[in-house]
Amino acid sequence: MLLEVEHLSVDYAPKNGAAVHAVRDVSLSIAEGEFVGLLGESGSGKSTLGTAILRLTERPGKITTGSIRFDDRDITNANAGELRKIRWNEMSTVFQSSMNSLNPVATVEAQFRDVIEEHTALRGKAVHQRAAELLELVSIEESFLRFYPHELSGGMKQRVALAMALALDPRLVVLDEPTTGLDVVVARSILDNVRRLQRELGFAVLFISHDIGTVLESADRVLIMYAGQLVESQPANGMLRDPMHPYAKGMLGSYADPRNETIRITYIPGRPPSLLAPPIGCPFAPRCPEVIERCHTDAPEFLPLAGATVACHVARDQRTSGTATTTGFAGPVFVKTGASTASGDADVVLRVENVEKTYTTRRGMHQSTVAAVRDVSFALRRGQVTALVGQSGSGKTTLARMITGVERPDAGSIHFGQTAIHQLGRRGVRSYRRHVQMVFQDPFAALNPNRTVGYALSRPLRNYRRLSTSAAAAEAAALLQTVGLTPPEEYLGKYPHQLSGGQRQRVVVARALAPDPEMIIADEPVSMLDVSIRAEILELLDRLIRSRELTILYITHDLLSARMLADEVLVLQGGRLVESGPALQVIQAPTDAYTVTLLNAIPNPQARIAG
Amino acid sequence: MSDSTPQTSAPAGPIVAGLTPAQPESVPAHPVRARWVPLWFAVLWANGKARVGIVMLVGFVAVAVFAPVIEPHDPQSQSFDASLGVSGSNLLGTTAQGQDILSLLIRGTRTSLIVGLLGGVFSTLIAMLIGMVAGYLQGWVDEILSFFINLALVIPVLPLMVTIAAYSPVRGISLIIFIIAITGWAWGARLKRSQIITLRTRDYVTAARFAGDGAIRIIFREIMPNMTSLVVAGFMGSATAAIAAEAGLEFLGLGDPTTISWGTMLFWAEQGSAMLTGAWIWLLAPGIALALLITSLTLINFGVDALSNPHLRGD
Repeated sequence: MLLEVEHLSVDYAPKNGAAVHAVRDVSLSIAEGEFVGLLGESGSGKSTLGTAILRLTERPGKITTGSIRFDDRDITNANAGELRKIRWNEMSTVFQSSMNSLNPVATVEAQFRDVIEEHTALRGKAVHQRAAELLELVSIEESFLRFYPHELSGGMKQRVALAMALALDPRLVVLDEPTTGLDVVVARSILDNVRRLQRELGFAVLFISHDIGTVLESADRVLIMYAGQLVESQPANGMLRDPMHPYAKGMLGSYADPRNETIRITYIPGRPPSLLAPPIGCPFAPRCPEVIERCHTDAPEFLPLAGATVACHVARDQRTSGTATTTGFAGPVFVKTGASTASGDADVVLRVENVEKTYTTRRGMHQSTVAAVRDVSFALRRGQVTALVGQSGSGKTTLARMITGVERPDAGSIHFGQTAIHQLGRRGVRSYRRHVQMVFQDPFAALNPNRTVGYALSRPLRNYRRLSTSAAAAEAAALLQTVGLTPPEEYLGKYPHQLSGGQRQRVVVARALAPDPEMIIADEPVSMLDVSIRAEILELLDRLIRSRELTILYITHDLLSARMLADEVLVLQGGRLVESGPALQVIQAPTDAYTVTLLNAIPNPQARIAG
Repeated sequence: MSDSTPQTSAPAGPIVAGLTPAQPESVPAHPVRARWVPLWFAVLWANGKARVGIVMLVGFVAVAVFAPVIEPHDPQSQSFDASLGVSGSNLLGTTAQGQDILSLLIRGTRTSLIVGLLGGVFSTLIAMLIGMVAGYLQGWVDEILSFFINLALVIPVLPLMVTIAAYSPVRGISLIIFIIAITGWAWGARLKRSQIITLRTRDYVTAARFAGDGAIRIIFREIMPNMTSLVVAGFMGSATAAIAAEAGLEFLGLGDPTTISWGTMLFWAEQGSAMLTGAWIWLLAPGIALALLITSLTLINFGVDALSNPHLRGD
């Protein structure tokens, strides 16, 4: 075995606070050349485990028990000198933020040179040769070697970071969410690169991610982590056919092919337990749809079962006592049928006509112009959801800014009823916002960390609906009820950090509903959330649209979520509308090549066993 | 301050807000331990330097509050013989005017602390108002306010202080506080302006705009609580500068020479040629007291740094 981790526990013990038991008694091993995926939602301890394996744990984090063996050497307590020999040479890493670790004042070549000359005997031209080879591995041309990091796009920088991680032919590469935060299409190309390189060069990979879809597509074996412990380990094919732990089933259930007539995606309500005081019994029990009496009292052990290793009483009982095994996730499910799409003849709420927007940037002597939006026209209809789909840089956000009155178009018109949005002044924008509200992408940034939920909700109520303090409080409670945060009294006094990501996003939705708007612009409202709870927010939005006759412009890069929510889809590329039509039609029979690219970027693990 | 820290008893105060995203989501930002002191104080106390500073400052405050009880003699009374040496009844000797030096020193603590507090508060308030409005509104408002900030930064402060004090029709502590406030705000304003420029593009600020809130409300109710630590650090710096400036102005004879303060002690010691007559305690005692008070504030500022930057918390 290349890497063997035994009974590893990692605590975060800040000086003035109780310890968080982030990783609890985890054992795993990775064979030479094996591609292992490590899955878990945020807060499951997966990144903590990854950094512990690399021995990069920083205070207040501390490995409390257990051992890490790399290539039969115990590195649990290795000192800095010993680790230096192993790192990069034999064990390297790419983090989510690796692209920012490139030195901004050195060229790409200089950075490769640093690494290569430090660890190998190559000098001069040979180093350049080697650097060029490495860039080629990640599909970047040799000429980019003389560029500085700021001259490269985020995806390119991340690929350079990957090439650098591979510079010394390591035997193990730890990838910690290497594509999170990157554009879908770019992420897809990076993952394709990783998979191809891993097959060609034969290094082992520990791929840490929250996204079961991408992991299952590439990994040989998948580990699932929950509340600091491993709950299931299975070869990827087995995981797809027969996931055993209900949590694994739930995660798998959050994927579906958007081309299907009827789509069912599940979600796992609730949130993981606090790791300050790890729960007695199975940590997943409170969220588990198949929970039995014993789960609340006995912690299931992580033991082999039918070709896998799993920590679940229910799965064990079903497979050992011969009772029928459950396959799918038995929890809540959001179903979208082909028929549940609204027809296209409702009143037009917002009309966008021939809108253009060009940005001019001046850099020294050069003046460059970027056409962010080019000749775009569409209409939003009452009670309908229109999805605006495209990768980053396609002009989605610029359009949203123009529609909300933050920016004015250079040409064309935007009409909300009789109001000409493209001509609104400061005062006009303010009264317009009573009718048009926004749901933000990042629920962690959209709520002020120092203000309670009650305060956040009361502001629009007081400003737009002129409610008194007490009336606003009552209305805020009613809004929380609407978005499913019950009992509302419990949430009004809470601060954002006391809520989970999903709960925060519900609060953001509630705030957008507060002025009782006709239209909501939702900018990637689920992309920052854990996959397991995305469907929950989509279902909430869906329900609100139907019950309140809301008009929604849903901005996304993800065609699956667009399909779940939208009646109409507009595909935007390079500021131009390349395709539009009813959601099902666009997705099932795309006419533009770009739409096909976007469709292919959706992870589709099921295709692995089908094909 | 009281408005911006209403939740000190909640698990995370405003100051640590920047820490929360780094924490695993399932975990409360700050472990809820039975806590009988607010978190900000716990963080300050955890820093060794700040702890020393707090103890020293508490000592000074206690001396100031209980001055009438502690002081061995009436500091105003000139009943002793002039320029006595150290003795049982006059532990630090007497001045050339026959006042007890120890009593003067104890009573003078009050002046320094009051000037430090009020001078710090007023210059911080001016800095906040100008810096934050400039940074948030940008455009021509920023241009004009920044012009005044830059102007205040390039004008040499000491001559300005001396000029204002010399031409002022009134004398006394209130004048000194006024001078300190209007000459000491510029750096703070510039710092706050740059901080708010980074905060104003946050989603929650945009959200507040969508919620219909006005600029002043957004600045002071949404953004300011998120920069409390910077405001506190600015206040500590201003207070330190105010204490030093007060002593300096009074030493130069620009204050009211009849008030009892460390600065006037220095002034009279200088007038009475204390060094030449061998009454060095008269000169040294207020000097050391000033140095210690300023040191205590500086040490506390180390802890304030830890509040604003969790990485400095040394755990």
